[in-house]
Amino acid sequence: MLKTLIEAFALISTWEVIIAMFAASVYGLVIGSLPGLSATMATALLVPVTFYLSPIAAIATIVAASSMAIFSGDIPGALLRIPGTPASAAYADEAYAMTRKGQAELALGAGVWFSAVGGIAGVLSLMILAPPLAEIALSFSTFEYFWLALLGLMCATLVARSSPVKAIAGMFLGLLVSCIGIENPGGVPRFTFGLTDLFGGIEPIPALVGVFAVAQVMRAMLTPEPPPLPRRKFGSIMAGQWKLTKKYHWQMTRGNIVGIIIGVLPGAGADMAAWVSYAMSKRFSKEPEKFGTGHVEGLVEAGASNNASIASGWVPSLLFGIPGDTIAAIAIGVLYMKGLNPGPTLFTEKASSMYAIYLMFIIANIMMIPLGIAMIRIAAYILLAPRSAIMPVIMLCCAVGSFAIGNNMFGVVTVAAFGIIGYVMEANGYPVAAMVLGIVMGTMVEQAFVTSLIKSDGSILPFFERPVAAILAAMAIGALLWPVMVWVWRKMKPVQTAAATSR
Amino acid sequence: MRLPDSVTGSFLVVLGAAAAYGGYILPPVPGQPVGPNVFPLVIGSGLALCGLAIVFGIGHSFEEEEELIPLEDGQVAAAPPPQGKFEGKLYGLRALLPPALLLFYVVAADRLGFIITAALMVYVTSTALGAKWKLALPLAALSPFAIHLIFGKLLRVPLPAGLLPTPW
Repeated sequence: MLKTLIEAFALISTWEVIIAMFAASVYGLVIGSLPGLSATMATALLVPVTFYLSPIAAIATIVAASSMAIFSGDIPGALLRIPGTPASAAYADEAYAMTRKGQAELALGAGVWFSAVGGIAGVLSLMILAPPLAEIALSFSTFEYFWLALLGLMCATLVARSSPVKAIAGMFLGLLVSCIGIENPGGVPRFTFGLTDLFGGIEPIPALVGVFAVAQVMRAMLTPEPPPLPRRKFGSIMAGQWKLTKKYHWQMTRGNIVGIIIGVLPGAGADMAAWVSYAMSKRFSKEPEKFGTGHVEGLVEAGASNNASIASGWVPSLLFGIPGDTIAAIAIGVLYMKGLNPGPTLFTEKASSMYAIYLMFIIANIMMIPLGIAMIRIAAYILLAPRSAIMPVIMLCCAVGSFAIGNNMFGVVTVAAFGIIGYVMEANGYPVAAMVLGIVMGTMVEQAFVTSLIKSDGSILPFFERPVAAILAAMAIGALLWPVMVWVWRKMKPVQTAAATSR
Repeated sequence: MRLPDSVTGSFLVVLGAAAAYGGYILPPVPGQPVGPNVFPLVIGSGLALCGLAIVFGIGHSFEEEEELIPLEDGQVAAAPPPQGKFEGKLYGLRALLPPALLLFYVVAADRLGFIITAALMVYVTSTALGAKWKLALPLAALSPFAIHLIFGKLLRVPLPAGLLPTPW
């Protein structure tokens, strides 16, 4: 244990890792604070750069950039009422109301402080949950993996803030995309239409860059530019945060726990965690009437929650290769490329790398406090950059980055195509995250499914025979039937009330 | 690009059916009951069923309307100035500009070289987003070199030189 910890320290205390982490932190803070550029997009655009780094440095950049971007989305939320990332949307109104009351420092300070605390709580959950789960996961066979993957896919559709049918359709679309290529049980070209470029299948990373970055530039073409930030002088940012921590320690803990749980659920990420925690805070508050008028309580809970979900999203990613959120989906792609294939054996064979990941998360969250304060002070200047100067550079990064992944132009075509797909899906209420999950997990789902079918020799019984498999199966089928039940129940209710009133 | 549910749903039905059929005609692995054909068959059928459900409006009641943040009294909605005759329907097509430019990059980069293609992309994107030439021109002149420095020089991505090779 101690030896692995020392090894982990040695792994992260190289100049490459330190510089990569610092640069990625600054990058994450800037991208997160610009409205319209989300944390997922920041991470997706980082991937081509990670190719050229050592495995630990590559993961360091993703850890640092995603944690910072989730915090810095609070800055324009509080100052402009425009959330920098979707994860800050839940409480942008509240934070802005505080700014108008002259409490901008308190709102932004709460953002930094409770984000850092939440991030560290998330890491602790990763450290505590992952090893015992890895023990259990070691005895999993393909049947368990099949049900687990199905459960993961179903979770993503359950938590989508959209129609579950559309979410399931999005997930199927993603799975269909993963069918393309010759990497299938028969090794035959499937859905390649004779194009050699499609033989290798659709790489998840260009697809993600297209869906998150190009689609965003496309949306920017049709939406008005956000207003410039008024210059303002800030007082002490951290003043009063310790008092808030003591006063709202229960809300903070609850936010952390909710964030961790939502992070672990596949497909549900920081934005979901913030919405749920903000609503919960309002529901259980002693003074709910103050919410919406610039009350810090909801900010504390939701800020603690969205950052906690970032680290805990890595739990299913590292263990099973099932992404806990869209950022973790990108991280999985990088893990595979760097030879750290997700799976329970990662915790025994590459224990020092795992410890290095924990350490990097902790360091990133501690670094967030000074860097975050600096960012708040210079935010007014960064937000002066017009969108028409940033978006073209993002476009160039998309083109070059997707080319760099395989050094072929087909990557750029993929990015363009998925930009359109992502844009059309989003505009019509199909959750993009569900499709992303399908693309990332497709190969694994198919492998588990087909291997299980071959093993069971056509019988369906072995899918339910093993105890863990049976439990997972029950949960997955329950998740599948849940929307149907809610739908039936909603259909029944108006009938009942109509019957009651007619009487 | 907001299409009626019946259109997107029907599209999914067709796509799902095509995928299922495409899976069905794949050659099976000799001597084995399941092969590469099973998964697309399942996925395609599922997709087609979802499409049908969407056409019939099942699950529509779950959809939440997007919560728009209302503007403050002082803030005037900065409506994008529709350019001359490109008002109305064609305005929506502007969204297709980014993917079109990426495809342009695919076609032109090898012949024109990275710097020239990238400069054109930046200039067009920037102008389309409302930048004046005072911003768009310097940006188009400088940013390709910056990107080339990072990706081409530091990360050694083989970017095409074309007509205008970089000085390094």
